[in-house]
Amino acid sequence: MLACRQAQEVQHGGRDTKSPHGEPPESAAGVWGATPHIKGEMAQTVTPQHQPVRVDRTFWLVTLGLTIINVILTVVIIALPMDYLLPGASLHVADRGDDIDFLYKFMSVFGNAIFVYVVGYIIYFAIAFRRRPDEPLTTIGVQIHDQPKLELWWTIVPSILIIILGAMSVRVWYSVQFGTGAPALTVEVIGHQFNYEFRYPGLSDSYFSTTAPMHLPVGRSVRVLVTSADVIHSFWVPEIRLKADAVPGLVQNLNFTPQHAGTFDIVCTEFCGVNHSRMQAKLIIQSADDFTDWLDGMKKQQASSGGGGVVALAAGDPNAGKALFAQKCSVCHQIAPFDQKLVGPGLLHLTDDPQHPTLVTGQSPTPDHIAAILHNGFTGPIGTMPNQAANGLSAGDIANLVAYLVSLK
Amino acid sequence: MSTTAIGDHEHEEHGAHDHIHPAPEGFIRKYVFSIDHKVIAVQYFAVGFLFFAIAGLLAELVRIQLLVPTGAIMDNNTYNGVYTLHGSAMVWMVIIPLVTGAFGNLVMPLQIGARDVAFPWLNMISFWIFPVAGAVLFCSFLAGAPDAGWTEYPPISVQGPPGTSLWCIAIFLIGISSTMTGLNFMVTIVKMRCPGMTWTRMPLFTWATFATALMNMVATVALSGALLALFLERQFNVPFYDPARGGSPVLWQHMFWFYSHPAVYIMILPAFGIISEVLPVFSRKPIFGYKMIAFSSMAIALLGFTVWAHHMFTSGMAPWLQLPFMLITMVIAVPTGIKIFSWVATLWGGRIHFSTAMLFATAFLITFTFGGITGIFLASVPADLQAHGTYFVVAHFHYVLFGGSVMGIFAGLYYWYPKVTGRLMSEKLGKLHFWMTFIGFNGTFLPMHWLGLEGMPRRYATYVAFAQSYPMAQFWNDFATCSSFIMALALPVVLFNMFWSLRHGVRAGNNPWGARTLEWMISSPPPYYNFKNIPIVLGLPYDFGEPLPYRNLDHETDPYPTPLPASIHTPPAVPAGAGV
Repeated sequence: MLACRQAQEVQHGGRDTKSPHGEPPESAAGVWGATPHIKGEMAQTVTPQHQPVRVDRTFWLVTLGLTIINVILTVVIIALPMDYLLPGASLHVADRGDDIDFLYKFMSVFGNAIFVYVVGYIIYFAIAFRRRPDEPLTTIGVQIHDQPKLELWWTIVPSILIIILGAMSVRVWYSVQFGTGAPALTVEVIGHQFNYEFRYPGLSDSYFSTTAPMHLPVGRSVRVLVTSADVIHSFWVPEIRLKADAVPGLVQNLNFTPQHAGTFDIVCTEFCGVNHSRMQAKLIIQSADDFTDWLDGMKKQQASSGGGGVVALAAGDPNAGKALFAQKCSVCHQIAPFDQKLVGPGLLHLTDDPQHPTLVTGQSPTPDHIAAILHNGFTGPIGTMPNQAANGLSAGDIANLVAYLVSLK
Repeated sequence: MSTTAIGDHEHEEHGAHDHIHPAPEGFIRKYVFSIDHKVIAVQYFAVGFLFFAIAGLLAELVRIQLLVPTGAIMDNNTYNGVYTLHGSAMVWMVIIPLVTGAFGNLVMPLQIGARDVAFPWLNMISFWIFPVAGAVLFCSFLAGAPDAGWTEYPPISVQGPPGTSLWCIAIFLIGISSTMTGLNFMVTIVKMRCPGMTWTRMPLFTWATFATALMNMVATVALSGALLALFLERQFNVPFYDPARGGSPVLWQHMFWFYSHPAVYIMILPAFGIISEVLPVFSRKPIFGYKMIAFSSMAIALLGFTVWAHHMFTSGMAPWLQLPFMLITMVIAVPTGIKIFSWVATLWGGRIHFSTAMLFATAFLITFTFGGITGIFLASVPADLQAHGTYFVVAHFHYVLFGGSVMGIFAGLYYWYPKVTGRLMSEKLGKLHFWMTFIGFNGTFLPMHWLGLEGMPRRYATYVAFAQSYPMAQFWNDFATCSSFIMALALPVVLFNMFWSLRHGVRAGNNPWGARTLEWMISSPPPYYNFKNIPIVLGLPYDFGEPLPYRNLDHETDPYPTPLPASIHTPPAVPAGAGV
């Protein structure tokens, strides 16, 4: 009995002839017709009456409206300069940055299209299919379960979109990874808590004044090698769009060609300690001539000042180095295999230890790199080695020590 | 209550189901060390919500700090501890326990017609680990707060303050709890479905819980291993992550994300399940594409295991290795898109009741879609090179985790509250809560997208240099902070609503929403044993025009369930306002 009463009430359900879309109800097999799902025995006793909703004119009008909105927004996205979203987009600071800006624009167009349709239909359905206050509570919606054709479409279309986006991403990825030709200039960036150290070729010692800005020339392809001396940092210039984490024990590279002169911020984006938010440096991109002038100036400056000067490594004397080692280094280091530590590791096989093919900095044990450690000192988990100033080493002392250490086998 | 089986049984072949245990007696066994899945669910919810309030206050401290570029209220160390605890607590002590422990425990056994989960004692232990882990986590603040963010990348976390070791212990403990809950739910769903409840008749929330349980069981081990190694390195100087002594900091990142990417789906899949229950009930319409939604949950769960390194595009890996991670990540957009389109299609042709639960479900569709689209940007390696480690990422995962999981949790709260308490929550206060949350949420996190792309990194206690290079920096940060106040003020509203409605809410009856899943076929609150007679299932629970697909129910039930008038209010302005 209960079932019968309910069955009649259910007949009020579905959409009656006062459908807001003004179309008379069609046959039971509407476009998204009802498909009976339950074959249970109770289902056979009552057959609810549905007057299925059609995909009607309003639906297509809304679809047209959303498409128009989409077209307008797409035009706006394409026409507007990306500066509203990405810093310095119209300056074209570096070549790879343009590719990435294009990718952002490309994906914004797709993302905008999907978002506008999804939200547009949600709002339209929320208004058109809301229960009117005067409707009985028994009112139900049209009982459709699925529509394989539609579902196939909304699997295929996003798949195609994803393939397009994926292909475009791979293309830009390739240009970012391999698009810049052989580097004309390689600069090493070493992250420290809480500043950056920059090393340049030709300055055989590191140019390590950590408060000084990084310099790059316009128009020359650059490779920036990024690593860290302590914890994980990151090297990011927002205007260049490229980022690499500075990971201790790992060297990453970024390749690009600066195209626009100016001064930009280098920012750390991996948490590196209490002053993480103050870890910044300036990047000065300047004309090739200015850059060469700057680099030559640095070379001269280093050569003339003893402490930070160029170490003529080739001129080092191993015997003088041996004496110096006993005097300055043997408190902490033995001439013994790596594991025989006093404070720091044994240095007998510094250049030829298969167990420890790299220096503590993660670099290969070349004379240059050894000299850099002697110059800068080193702070790591093992402990702290004082720098050249604290140890009282002149440029010549360092050359002698390196010559001695390299001569050990 | 008798210790013997109750009632007459038509189906003796399911003898194991017919044995009803006596209800526990005494306050401690009933409400403290309870083995009843429903009580455990409420315990999870209470503790989870408490942690939600604390972690939410920490978020407000973060926002207040960023009112001025030089930092408004805290020194850097305090700030670092505050956001680390905010993130860690929200992920491990709020969302995961709420979506699995609270909603999974409450709803899943009822939906499959079981009298409890497979291992009730294990369930109790899982729960009791949770407040202990939470207490350890919050106590770490006093011991010198962990400061490296919820990801705790070594080497900085190795050098971090003493609280970092407590952090390891807390997360390790909650991992044990998650794994046990996952195992428990897996066995329950596989072995304890009532007769006729085939896999393709299972309610979608139970499907989502199944996929989640699988991920919890498999993935959490990786995190536990990584945490153990970090703990050993911190306490006993075992160099797992120290490159100078043969370790690798990137090792942590692989192990961490091998867990934490699936964890994203652990957090969102149950919310998908909640949405899949709420939308059909309030649209008075079957869920559109049941099988596609169920199977796409499984597809997401499986694909979710293969994309972890997309969090590490800038961390250092072989360049070619970025490609598979990028492309598989993009592929996940397809099953996710199928779900979203199916939910939108569920609205089509419905007679939609905009109750508070439905409003949260609808808002979920909008905010989660937005978060999904920004996810595509992050999946693409070249775009990620700009966005990684910035506020763009912060905005993205809050759109997914707040706009997804938390909106789902609120929808589920309003939806299942009457089942637990027997009373409805106030719809008026509910709608106030909804609009404050929705507006405050978007105002807080939308500006973070462009703040991030313009160059504001995460985990910044101050942003002096950024404020110089981007003049609008302070304006948008203040905008976000003011919006977050609106969101925060919504919390007392919902808390008050929960307590007020306990006594003053409209009486719900068994089935206030006219829903058709099994949990609504029993009384509110359900008896200790849930079902005196184990029900028999004849079909899917989403066919609103058909008679109920159940037999052998305990109560005589209206075969065409209808919502109570009291449970539905549809102010005409609300659907139109949804467009704001």
